[in-house]
Amino acid sequence: MSLLQMTGVDKRFGQVAALTGVDFTLEAGEVHALVGENGAGKSTLMKILAGVQPPDAGSMTLAGRPVRFHGVDEAQAHGVVMVYQELALVPSLSVAENLFLGRLPRVVGYRDLYARARGPLAQVELDLDPAGEVASLGIGERQLLEIARALAREGRILVLDEPTAALSASESERLFAIIEKVKASGVAMVYISHRLEEVFRIADRVTVLRDGRLVGTRVVADTTADEIVQLMVGKAVRRYQRAPRTKGEALGTFEAAGPGLEPLSITLEAGEIVGLAGVIGSGRERILPTLFGLAGTASWAGDPVRSPRDAIREGIVLVPSDRKQQGLVMELTVQENVSLATLSRLQRFGFMDARREREQTRTWIERLSLRPPEPRKPARELSGGNQQKVVVAKSLATEPTVLLLDEPTRGVDVGARTELYDVIDGLSRRGLGLLLSSSDTEELIGLSDRILVFRGGRVATELRPPFDYEEVVAHVTGARQLA
Amino acid sequence: MSLARVNWREVFARFGLLMALVALVVILSLLSDRFLTPSNVVNVLRQISINAIIACGMTVVIIGRGIDLSVGSLLALTGVVGAGLAVGGLPAGLAVLVAMALGTALGTFNGLFVAYAGIAPFIVTLAGLTIFRGAALAYTDGRPISGLPPLFMTLGYGTFLGLPVPIWIMLAFLLVTHVILRFTALGRAIYAIGGNEEAARLSGIPVRRVQVFTFAFSGLAAALAAMVLTGRLNSAQPSAGVMFELDAIAAVVVGGTSLFGGRGGVFGTLVGALIIGVINNGMNLLNVPSFYQQIVKGGVILAALLIERLVATRRT
Ligand SMILES: Nc1ncnc2c1ncn2[C@@H]1O[C@H](COP(=O)(O)OP(=O)(O)OP(=O)(O)O)[C@@H](O)[C@H]1O
Ligand SMILES: [Mg+2]
Repeated sequence: MSLLQMTGVDKRFGQVAALTGVDFTLEAGEVHALVGENGAGKSTLMKILAGVQPPDAGSMTLAGRPVRFHGVDEAQAHGVVMVYQELALVPSLSVAENLFLGRLPRVVGYRDLYARARGPLAQVELDLDPAGEVASLGIGERQLLEIARALAREGRILVLDEPTAALSASESERLFAIIEKVKASGVAMVYISHRLEEVFRIADRVTVLRDGRLVGTRVVADTTADEIVQLMVGKAVRRYQRAPRTKGEALGTFEAAGPGLEPLSITLEAGEIVGLAGVIGSGRERILPTLFGLAGTASWAGDPVRSPRDAIREGIVLVPSDRKQQGLVMELTVQENVSLATLSRLQRFGFMDARREREQTRTWIERLSLRPPEPRKPARELSGGNQQKVVVAKSLATEPTVLLLDEPTRGVDVGARTELYDVIDGLSRRGLGLLLSSSDTEELIGLSDRILVFRGGRVATELRPPFDYEEVVAHVTGARQLA
Repeated sequence: MSLARVNWREVFARFGLLMALVALVVILSLLSDRFLTPSNVVNVLRQISINAIIACGMTVVIIGRGIDLSVGSLLALTGVVGAGLAVGGLPAGLAVLVAMALGTALGTFNGLFVAYAGIAPFIVTLAGLTIFRGAALAYTDGRPISGLPPLFMTLGYGTFLGLPVPIWIMLAFLLVTHVILRFTALGRAIYAIGGNEEAARLSGIPVRRVQVFTFAFSGLAAALAAMVLTGRLNSAQPSAGVMFELDAIAAVVVGGTSLFGGRGGVFGTLVGALIIGVINNGMNLLNVPSFYQQIVKGGVILAALLIERLVATRRT
């Protein structure tokens, strides 16, 4: 008997059938990967399991007993715990308060709370001050904190929705080690990811969703990445490698310094893509927000950049890493979000030019193959990867001269990722300078003209092509330096 | 969408408010044959005009995730200043314009504190509430100003194409507000800031300036309402407008604009003001004692918020 059995699950959102007749089983103690393109229904299926949303039809049994969850609390009472794709921390509260949110004692004794926070933090090897504000953490740190919080709940089913999307290779390794440990203690896990190599490393079985239907479940040991990709998209996907470019003239120089970041300068050429690599705490996460005028001090081509408006005036645009907090206005539609950074261009005498706005949106929906291609859909109703495309579209619509990309493909599926890379490559060929901060080594190698490796708040190494995957990882983790 | 698949929740979310208004009207017209007469309908519209004008400004502030508690006092202050200038010999038209400019300036004052000093709108406008009231009392020495030129009479009692002037002013101001919110870049920025201030800032929207505008606009609305009220009373009272902020906020939230910002519109506010106005009017017609009227009004506001909550939580 399976630990969990979901049978005939249907879920519609208005006209969209997010799930159709999905039968999903989870065995005790297994790691079960769930894969599929953006909008395939992965998050929706797991949100139904975790009591976030009710299904329209279908039933669920847990350890043989029929269950129905009417809320997250009921699911948690049955031992189902989920780490969401959209991070769900309270930025204004401390690390410790977030860890125990919903389970805070009636009278909060802070010293006690901070002391108790050390256990879960140590479990994910996160060296944070329990009293520090979550608002000051980078996205990777927040992700690990969420995982620590879920672990502290000690469920028997743990759902991880794209947990490594913001983690670099070494932090992902750490997570895998944790997963092994948790698995050994008999907890079953569902693992959603767009990174197939991870699936093959840690999962026992893998289930593929396509357009809301379950198209297959395989034992990982008996399948191949090609077969899975085939199931996901119905065609093979090439590995991305940008064609070499010719040298351009210098665009300008960034100078920056700030908390956790030693003074540095980066000179960008027209058409150049500079990759930024580094683990959490290396300073890599701080660099783009600093250059955009959000923290510390920065200047571009000699002009100080004190605020995002300064930056945008200089033609510098940021695609922020945290789409929910910094990128999207969830209440607004796709079109309204795409227009947000170009309002001044889309207006005439203060009035929005409806036709130009529609056209601009349509162009970007096509160029980034947004699904569904619906300009009037509220952003909150899009799948995670498609939300990410909206954020990217908004920034690109400004036609910047320098583009700062902070984890631009977080949560974007393999197919759409390649399309996005083509767009980025196209921009560089039109003479933009790009800084690409990414935790995905493949992505850095595929796109960068050179890679700056951050360690201890400064640029430790500069790597030039041809890049070697192992070597880049070694530099990022510091293994190369020690050897 | 095929007929068989009507999504009732969506229909309800979009038209529930109107349905509630229609239901109220039907019930009241059954209870009293004086309710659904042309003269009473005009009556209700005129009665709500002042609140609706203030509520337009309030809608804009609340969509931008603010709140303006100072509108009642601001109304009193701009009313007495406008009336005082007119009585003192300034041409009436000019006095009205000065009063509206003053309202805009006082709103800007609120806005500057919110946007640039980073003080919560609730606190800033609470201070405004007492400061403006005190200024109005000081300016008049606590006495009403009467003996106004005929322009004020026209604002309060004139008719145009068969409808009272206050109703026209209300409709015009609703339209202006609607156009700003829906068709201008500024309006888009207000929604964006209310929905996610940080995302708006990172998109290069001048967040602070837009915030100041919302409060300035609310000040303008209150000053406009002051002119109409002064005309209705044929005098300017330093004690006018006490608790008007609550009626305006009630119209906005009953009208479905979220107090959390980023969502709503002025059409809902009109319906909200109508619902409140119709309830007041109906209870008067039915001779409900005024103490009970207050209880019913409060109950309606709670019910509206409860429904909004239910619809909102269902969506996430
Ligand atoms: N709250 C909602 N309202 C309306 N539609 C929704 C809502 N949530 C999800 N959808 C739609 O349901 C479909 C499945 O979305 P889901 O988030 O499950 O995709 P996913 O497989 O997790 O994709 P991704 O890899 O991009 O995260 C999508 O078409 C999405 O637009
Ligand atoms: Mg998802």
